[in-house]
Amino acid sequence: MEALNTIRPELLTFSREQIVAISPYIWLFGGSVLAIVAAALRVISPKWPVFLITLATLIAGTISSFLLMSNEPMVLFSGKMVADVYANFFNLIFMISAIVTAMASLRYLDDGKIQHPEYYLLLLFSVMGMMLMASSLDLVVLFIALELMSLSVYVLVGFRRTDRRSNEAAMKYFILGGAASAILLYGAALLYGATGSTGIRDMLAFIQKSPEGVSPLFVLGSWLVVIGFLFKVASVPFHMWMPDVYEGAPAPITGFMTTGLKAAAFAAFMRVFVSAGYGAGLAESLRTHLHDILWISAVLTMVVGNVIALTQTNLKRMLAYSSISHTGYLLVGMIAGPLSEQGYAPVALYLVSYAAMNLGAFVILTILAAKDDSGLNLHDMSGLSRRHPWIAFSMAVFMLSMAGIPPTAGFAAKYYLFYSAIQAREVPLVVISVLCSAISVYYYLRVLVYMYMRDPVESPSGQRVSIWAALAVAAMVALTLQIGVLPERMVTAARKAVISL
Amino acid sequence: MEINPAFFYIFAGLAIAFSLLVVIKKSAIASAFNLVCVFFSFAGIYAMMDAHLIAAIQIIVYAGAVMVLFLFVIMLLNADNAAFDMHPIGRGKRLVSASFVVVMAGMFIWVFKNTTYLGPISNFSNANVEAAGGNTQVLSELMFSEYILPFELTSVLLLAAIIGTIAIAKRKKPAALLNGGSAAKGGNAQ
Repeated sequence: MEALNTIRPELLTFSREQIVAISPYIWLFGGSVLAIVAAALRVISPKWPVFLITLATLIAGTISSFLLMSNEPMVLFSGKMVADVYANFFNLIFMISAIVTAMASLRYLDDGKIQHPEYYLLLLFSVMGMMLMASSLDLVVLFIALELMSLSVYVLVGFRRTDRRSNEAAMKYFILGGAASAILLYGAALLYGATGSTGIRDMLAFIQKSPEGVSPLFVLGSWLVVIGFLFKVASVPFHMWMPDVYEGAPAPITGFMTTGLKAAAFAAFMRVFVSAGYGAGLAESLRTHLHDILWISAVLTMVVGNVIALTQTNLKRMLAYSSISHTGYLLVGMIAGPLSEQGYAPVALYLVSYAAMNLGAFVILTILAAKDDSGLNLHDMSGLSRRHPWIAFSMAVFMLSMAGIPPTAGFAAKYYLFYSAIQAREVPLVVISVLCSAISVYYYLRVLVYMYMRDPVESPSGQRVSIWAALAVAAMVALTLQIGVLPERMVTAARKAVISL
Repeated sequence: MEINPAFFYIFAGLAIAFSLLVVIKKSAIASAFNLVCVFFSFAGIYAMMDAHLIAAIQIIVYAGAVMVLFLFVIMLLNADNAAFDMHPIGRGKRLVSASFVVVMAGMFIWVFKNTTYLGPISNFSNANVEAAGGNTQVLSELMFSEYILPFELTSVLLLAAIIGTIAIAKRKKPAALLNGGSAAKGGNAQ
């Protein structure tokens, strides 16, 4: 056993390449600090400086992440995080969903009289947490990043402080999220006990070197970590918190949670998962364990999510349950990942497509929401095509895309996902998923029926649409159609990202 | 150093007993004081494992600072008198949760019994730590070199927590005016 060498000043210096590699994070952190100062000074107006700094920060981060996509992977901070294509791919999802959320929120917060600068700060912090989750290589960093993300989102969920449902949602999410974090942390501790390292790659190396390292302790640890992640992505049976939280949270935040938070949890999940031996050709028993857990969870998630979504009349709640069912499809991709030649690329593609269509739908809900997020029932959509033809058209695109009808992103993503599951010889699973997705067509198309075939009702939300929100919706429509018509580019990007894992 | 198992069982038993009391007691103050006892039992276990720094921090931060905050909050909100109107839990639910606890406990016992201890896998053995200058020194050196990223991220996390607290706790009108006033003053001073 070699002696300890703890004084290593070389760890504290940065080369130019390393600074370039973490530039998205630097942008984001610098921007947050700047925004805090602007918020505290309250120059000009409380909202514009913070909003513009947030937007500029996120755009700068997006551009630098995009430029870094072609760089070689670089391990940083003595193996605590890595800046590779995978991380940057997910960074793009997180930052773009944050941009869309910020743009949608501007008018919404004014209307609700909750225009506080803290909103944008917390948004930035949660994006930072998500980005670090996707790029962490160490369970310690992963946990802190998860907490950074969750803590900010807990507060954002309860941001409408005068609304009881918002408070209830925040409290519920906070307590259950805390419990899930504790489970994940305990699992991480057991993994450390079993392998002697918190580094994800070190763990993999350890079990590859000594197969007896896959002890019951290791299995229990990975189970607990998996359960923690399944909670965060709200798969059945860990979904109880989700509909209430999604309904109670402010509409733009709900959109942000369904896309950013879910993508972040899946990004970290895949990173840990790939290295926990799943598909690495080792530890057969462990692989079947995880396979079985995920299989049951995926089937339950798809069935429960879709069936309950059928009966919902509130759009926000309906989209919450549909978000559960989409988690189920993503889990199908996770199961198929190691067994098909596409690997985890379908999951990444599905996350992008889902982010585009779901964010768009939630921006529309944000536009249409009356006071305290009321007025989002199905019959409030009646005749929307005559009141706001363009919004109705965009909503139709998003609904068709979620139902998986060509030529939209949802179709391309589902096709690619189910194709890889067929390749993995998971035929029963694919049959169940396709049936579930057929059920979902009913409740998605019902929105279209109300929008286009019912007479308009007098709705209080007849106001002008904010230019920022309109811009966000237009961008998401474009992205949805672009992925649907020409999925090639996105597929290539997703594949490159997953290979770098 | 070898741990005397008797001490471990004493401290662990105390920790479990007091944790149960935290949950069972109806009065918030009583729960808080039981929580202090839990923290002290943990500190005892840490100390036995030669993690003296962690034990000291556990007592200073948790049993000291965190608990004082807890008690302040309970007293300020007068939460001790606020009856927790707990709905009586149905027999079926009780049975389910009890059997779940038993299954979980059984599973954990089975797992720990069936895992062969591979010895300290990393090179943080007691002798090595001692040779490198002792627990505290090794810990702080690691924290500022190898674990600098999680360390710094923790401060970002705290910053986010502070901002979140402000967002939740800020009073609607008066505090907003107050903040505006002090900010204007700060602006003038510059």
